[in-house]
Amino acid sequence: MFAKRQTERISDKTPSPSKDNRPAPVAASVIGLSKRFGKSSVLENINFHVAEGELLVLLGASGSGKTTILRIIAGLEDPDTGSVILHHKDVSDLPARERGVGVIFQSYALFPKMTVEKNIGYGLRIRKRKRKEIKATVNELISLVQLEEHRKKYPSQLSGGQQQRVAIARTLAYKPDVLLFDEPFGALDAQTRTHLRREIRRLLKKVNVPSIFITHDQEEALELGDRIAVLNVGHIEQIGTPHEVYNHPATEYVATFLGAANILSGNLRGNTFEMGAAKLPVRADPARFREGQAVKLVFRPEDVVLSHSGDLPVGYYCLAKGVVEEASFAGAYERVSLRLDLSGADSCETPTSQFYLTTETPESAATSKPIIANLSKAVASGVRVKSGDRVTVGLNSYTLLPDRGR
Amino acid sequence: MSTVISTMRHVRGFDFARPLSIGMLIFMMLPLVFLPLASIFLFGTNKGLASFWAALSAPEAIFALKLSLATSFWATVFNVIFGLFAAYVLSRHNFWGRNALIVTISLPTAIPTAVAGFALLLLWGPYGTLGRFLSPHGIQIMFTGGAIILANIFVTFPLAFGVIKPVFDTMSRSLEEASATMGATRIQTFWHVTLPSLRGAIVSGALLTFARAVGEFGSTILVSGNLAGRTQTAPLYIFAKFNEGQIEAANAIAIVLALFSFLIFSVLFVARDWFDVD
Repeated sequence: MFAKRQTERISDKTPSPSKDNRPAPVAASVIGLSKRFGKSSVLENINFHVAEGELLVLLGASGSGKTTILRIIAGLEDPDTGSVILHHKDVSDLPARERGVGVIFQSYALFPKMTVEKNIGYGLRIRKRKRKEIKATVNELISLVQLEEHRKKYPSQLSGGQQQRVAIARTLAYKPDVLLFDEPFGALDAQTRTHLRREIRRLLKKVNVPSIFITHDQEEALELGDRIAVLNVGHIEQIGTPHEVYNHPATEYVATFLGAANILSGNLRGNTFEMGAAKLPVRADPARFREGQAVKLVFRPEDVVLSHSGDLPVGYYCLAKGVVEEASFAGAYERVSLRLDLSGADSCETPTSQFYLTTETPESAATSKPIIANLSKAVASGVRVKSGDRVTVGLNSYTLLPDRGR
Repeated sequence: MSTVISTMRHVRGFDFARPLSIGMLIFMMLPLVFLPLASIFLFGTNKGLASFWAALSAPEAIFALKLSLATSFWATVFNVIFGLFAAYVLSRHNFWGRNALIVTISLPTAIPTAVAGFALLLLWGPYGTLGRFLSPHGIQIMFTGGAIILANIFVTFPLAFGVIKPVFDTMSRSLEEASATMGATRIQTFWHVTLPSLRGAIVSGALLTFARAVGEFGSTILVSGNLAGRTQTAPLYIFAKFNEGQIEAANAIAIVLALFSFLIFSVLFVARDWFDVD
């Protein structure tokens, strides 16, 4: 397992997610979207595309502009510049009703005076389809979303999950070019969310309609998306598979937004990251990095191993020695906070002494750096650590970023 | 419409304040509301049903009732449609002077009805600001059924609007947006999505307007000319018969109007629940 993970190290590019090697045709794309509200810029030059059958997640905090992007694609808002292309057709100047997109609103926006059947058939009735055809489509969709026994009910008589299925079925009825989901789990409790998100992913893969899904929940994004676009105040920080954005974040923002990350500031010396006495071999792309440059090392708490003896599992590199400050049980894993010793008094090369006495002085605080390690149950039971232990800190997966702050 | 009233639990044993306060409330309402209403019915029926029917079936009485219903009906139709339109515009669009417009629409309720009737006379009367241009062409608006409708429209102007606008304000925009993304035009959206949510408000707004218009007196007496059998509405008939000393004739119509308002009031009470079931 360890050996396998090593291959995913540093700046290796992982292959494209599609199982066969030819990429799926582009179903929808936005090109150069920008928008300002008054003096503040909401979107800056947004570009991305969604492939046929793909589920793209726009992930961002509130105020990142993700809802605005969705509304622009739907035609409910106009961009200042840029265009929206749906199936090779520029729809930028078309009103919402002529775009043929399906929007699943945050509150579902089901029509309260219509039954489930009427809600689902609405798009077809508007399109003046034959009654027989409407009935057939509605029946088909009702069984697809498994609402047979609720077909005569009104939205207020349905649970949140059922309402959501109606909202999706209602848009599928008129065969939209793309489905847009506006944080549709916002109003639900945590357990229902997890359940529904899997259900929706299954459903969307079944109907194979390209979808754009916006959320502020990184866990949701990782689980739901084929690809994730991480937004930060109006621009895209990174687009990639969940694997890419999580393991190889392109920016510090992406690294910290997608879960906990340790970040160390240091310098690049040849093929080594240096921060005081802490050293780590890196493969720095000469196109992005130059010798001696200020860099940041980013790694996840779960990619850290600790060792009393100084021996690390295969594929792990020693970063430095550290002192355990606190080890706490967090259910699925054990959370350990440490201070890396950067003084150089006791480096990776020297064996660790179990009885090394540490005294926390102001000087040592300046030459030490706090990090977090999450040890899985299996690892934690092998390496029992307690507060005050001096351990070797090993890493097997980490990312190097240019430090633009210095 | 059911509300749970919690009983007072902080008092031990029999709470004397309870029957006392309820009794006092009813006692206070007795001379103010109950007795006046009761006297209409007591007086109207004390000479027997035959004389009541006779008073009611007098041609002028029947005409007055019909005129009241007809003029109120048209005023209601106009004000509901207008109220719907005004509520739509004022809750969907934000523009300079919007609040001023809302206040202006609501103003007629605060104006004394006699002033309203007088104002209409000054505008449309034979020598009025606009009326004097019409009268040479033989067009006379005042002292006709049309004048009564105009007066009714004026005094009931904000009622339907006042009921419909809050519903518009609280209605989620995303319903209309959803309809648009599903391919509907503005008109289709309004007809299939917006209007059904307004049914209850429209019905109660209409009933409120109608009830108020049927009982209108102050403005009607100025603009109608009060001609028996031609422009005399039911409230004017009551007033005229009372002045002539024909108390029974006045009373018969009064009973009909009172019953009518009871009816409308009960319908109003349940209208929301009827039409807003979902």
